[in-house]
Amino acid sequence: MIEDCLKLTSYFGERNRNGRTFLADSQLDLFGRREIPISVLLRGAEGFGLKHHLRTDRLLTLSEDLPIVSVAVDTRARIEALLDDLRSIEHRGLVTLERARMLRGDIGPLQLPDDLHEATKMTVYVGRQERVYRVPAFAAVCDLLHRRGIAGATVLLGVDGTAHGQRTRARFIGRNADVPMMIIAVGSGERIARVLPELGGLLRRPLVTLERVQVCKQEGELVDRPHPLPAVDGTGMAVWQKLMVYTSERALHDGQPVHRALVRRLRSSGARGATALRGMWGFHGETPPHGDRLLQLGRRVPVVTIIIDTPDRIAASFDIVDELTTEHGVVTSEMVPATAMIAGDNRDGDLRLAPHRPAR
Amino acid sequence: MTLLVWVGVVLIGGGGSVLRFLVDGAIASRTGRSFPYGTLVVNLSGAVLLGLVTGLVLNRDGALLAGTAAVGSYTTFSTWMFETQRLAEDRQVPGLAANVVVSLVAGVVAAALGKMIGSYL
Repeated sequence: MIEDCLKLTSYFGERNRNGRTFLADSQLDLFGRREIPISVLLRGAEGFGLKHHLRTDRLLTLSEDLPIVSVAVDTRARIEALLDDLRSIEHRGLVTLERARMLRGDIGPLQLPDDLHEATKMTVYVGRQERVYRVPAFAAVCDLLHRRGIAGATVLLGVDGTAHGQRTRARFIGRNADVPMMIIAVGSGERIARVLPELGGLLRRPLVTLERVQVCKQEGELVDRPHPLPAVDGTGMAVWQKLMVYTSERALHDGQPVHRALVRRLRSSGARGATALRGMWGFHGETPPHGDRLLQLGRRVPVVTIIIDTPDRIAASFDIVDELTTEHGVVTSEMVPATAMIAGDNRDGDLRLAPHRPAR
Repeated sequence: MTLLVWVGVVLIGGGGSVLRFLVDGAIASRTGRSFPYGTLVVNLSGAVLLGLVTGLVLNRDGALLAGTAAVGSYTTFSTWMFETQRLAEDRQVPGLAANVVVSLVAGVVAAALGKMIGSYL
């Protein structure tokens, strides 16, 4: 069954507080109380936000307040109800609402909605210790996607979240079996539609979301620049745009890993923010799925860099992205129909959905 | 008297690490680069200070407070090593080599310089 859903994403600092508790904890407590079918809390490796303070896990002092991303997906009505509760939490950072389709339970052969035909971003949610025929579920899913010719997949490790409505927080000591992980893959709607029933057969309780994206670059080749979006939609509400850059720790630009060079260049260009999330497993193109090795010096895992900004800024940021991803990387563009930036008491933007849909 | 000295070590030691956090943070966020300039500046300035303190020939308590407590908590070996390992993870071979060699060579020179200044004061 395909459900029309909303994806609520918050970008903030690890040390942001809501009164006496951490903002991340207050948010996830709320997701747990509301029994959100799937939510994941991810820790970033590097990034900057509205105040343009660089945070990076490269340097000890600057790793003090690393970026955090929380994602929650549920039906439209339930996310709208959740927004009312979220307003009671003292929030800083960026909050976005995006449209997504959720598939759960029995996934049979299916026809994707028309707008997902071109390119689709699929996110599969599995538990950390979930296994498929004695193989870790994330590895089994990556293998399947690789064999079916999907261009790439990135596995992001959650540290907290809800899975099928149950709160699962990672502990320092423990199996953390059900703490959710996200497997993000981008491919043509047709290929994704073919692989979906197989995923349904592979996983015990499959939970998948699908989002419409535009592929801008593929393995360094320019496919199409991000579709120019109007700054405001027909009803006068601001429209935002999101770029996601999928690269690898191994991909270098000018001797630096692409995502690090990208975050620094974007910061000095005056972009509103960027967050790099390091995956723990994944693949790009022909190379088989892999993670890091126990004995290694340089890292090999995939990385996703997320850039959210107004459409005119995105056009400028894409030039930087394009320049840094001449040899590697997949770049996608998405419309963000609702965004709110919150810095202290200043709230800019509104979390009502802009109905604009970009022309194909 | 000894209790006072130990309380002094606690307070000055805490102050030294806070100072490092501020200096490192200010430099690192200003340069915005992946090379750990902040830690390098902290360690080199610490080496000058420690050289200076030993050059001054202080009494025992004075040396404990100024050397071990203040400079000892201000400088950091573990951060230097940690950030060098992080450079290796990013395949930053020139940066990695520079971080090790410059810290070592310039560090010894800085300590000698501090000691020389101290002995003239």
